[in-house]
Amino acid sequence: MSAVAAPASRSHLWQVVEYQLYVGRRIWRSMFIVGVFTPLAYVLSLGIGLGTVVNNHGNSLGVPYLVYVAPAFLTAAALQIAAADAAYPIMAGFKWIRTFHGMAATPLTPAQICDGQLMWVALRIFANSVVYLAIMAAFGGTERWWVVLCVPIATLTAMAFAAPVAAIAAIMENEGNGFNMLFRFIVTPMFLFSGTFYPVSELPEWGRWLAYISPLWHGTELARGSAIGHIGGLAVLGHLAYLLLWFVVGLVVARWRFGVRLSK
Amino acid sequence: MVAPSSRAVADVTSSPAPDLLIEAHGLTKTFGDFTAVDGIDVAVPRGEAFGFLGPNGAGKSSTMRMIACVAPITSGSLRILGMDPVSQGPRIRARLGVVPQQDTLDLELTVRENLYIYGRYFGMSRAALRPKIDDLLDFAQLTERADAKVEPLSGGMKRRLTIARSLINDPDILLLDEPTTGLDPQARHVLWDRLYRLKQQGVTLVLTTHYMDEAEQLCDRLVVMDAGRIVAEGSPQQLIVAHSTREVAELRFAPGENAAAAERIGGLLDDARERAEVLPDRVLLYVADGERALARAHEAGLSPISSLVRRSTLEDVFLRLTGRSLID
Repeated sequence: MSAVAAPASRSHLWQVVEYQLYVGRRIWRSMFIVGVFTPLAYVLSLGIGLGTVVNNHGNSLGVPYLVYVAPAFLTAAALQIAAADAAYPIMAGFKWIRTFHGMAATPLTPAQICDGQLMWVALRIFANSVVYLAIMAAFGGTERWWVVLCVPIATLTAMAFAAPVAAIAAIMENEGNGFNMLFRFIVTPMFLFSGTFYPVSELPEWGRWLAYISPLWHGTELARGSAIGHIGGLAVLGHLAYLLLWFVVGLVVARWRFGVRLSK
Repeated sequence: MVAPSSRAVADVTSSPAPDLLIEAHGLTKTFGDFTAVDGIDVAVPRGEAFGFLGPNGAGKSSTMRMIACVAPITSGSLRILGMDPVSQGPRIRARLGVVPQQDTLDLELTVRENLYIYGRYFGMSRAALRPKIDDLLDFAQLTERADAKVEPLSGGMKRRLTIARSLINDPDILLLDEPTTGLDPQARHVLWDRLYRLKQQGVTLVLTTHYMDEAEQLCDRLVVMDAGRIVAEGSPQQLIVAHSTREVAELRFAPGENAAAAERIGGLLDDARERAEVLPDRVLLYVADGERALARAHEAGLSPISSLVRRSTLEDVFLRLTGRSLID
């Protein structure tokens, strides 16, 4: 056993992350494009383009439209990228390239494989959010230092959704068609109905409830709160608790299903 | 590659290694109503090359996945390296090398990166891995492709990489599930040569196969599995002696005439151990003296299209024990 170190659960997590870094080196171009051009496109077209229209027509939001909308974009982008990262690569690990089955033959446990995979998603989202924040700031979309909290908030929101998606990816046996439904009927509508572009109070009753259920609205409220202020301490706790609930339930189910899938 | 042999020595001195690396009693695996493995007993001592021979669906892979501490057992008892797979799975897996039936290589990474990443899963340091990887690349004859992506490699090269990868942690037991299935004959021979070297170095090998020549070449001892049960056990030679005759005469008649010919020949055989077996395309005569049996068939007026005499193999043992051939 001389060459083999004593198994330690935390280092195992990093071993999985390290693998993803190697994979990431091969796809850095697409990661770069997603990480830089998506924020640029949103900030320029909607934040500044649409923002000019809003600001010139009696903006009642109390801050320039870009300042209002950019934290929400950051959070929504984090959630969307995380959802995709938790869906297809995990499906591939089980089914297409079967790398998880290779990992399961090592000292790694299914739960560690699951955690490591999600840890990688979280790191990527964190890095993306930092870039997003820098682009926001470069275009005058930030007004106070508290806005840096958008980065951890967006990461938490993204993981609150990515963990259940990882569970679904571990359960799904088919070729991943279910993910098309997920993105078409859940992820995209969530972006439109979570108070990204305007306060959810503008929505009818049913629309507001859609927002309240979705983790994205809670993340958006927190991110916007950090960017603009005017958010109560109790509201902060409520939003955080709701996001944590999604994350923990998703993680528990994902770990369980990784175990089931890898021990067949 | 010297590591596995030096390793075996190191282990004897450092920890009182159990005599039996694998010990299973009444090992059973069910999937719903289906019983894949039906109460088998297996014991593998250190240094042995042990084989599970049987057709597809015999329960070999299910057995291997339990031994690899990946799939839980349904009932019975199983101890690997003296430990319990349920409570000590990660500790056991740290000392196993696994070559799965289907490769699980990362095709996007290079050959070297695949080895490096896998070594990291065992908690090995960068410094320990560098020389180890060079040794394994050499052993697997992949040094020239070290920095090539895995995707375009041939099936044989991928398989050799999977075997190299399984040796990264100097395993106490190397588990090979159908190591050469799907490879062309030349690639299989290269692989057998590599596995034979490991065997010579004293690595404990456990393999499943439905190729009798593979079992004969590599296994000191094997069990024949059929429908989840062990139907025979012994060295290849012992099994042939116990369950077959010394020689086999193969007679090929015109399509549709094999059964009738077999019936006539059956009457010509004198010894109780001798018998005729009808396959769809030929008749097999299990006899002590193949040439003599052929001559008698000709004397009786039978004229096969072609004929040959050969030694009995494990294929014949399997046919005898199960009434079916290994490869359907």
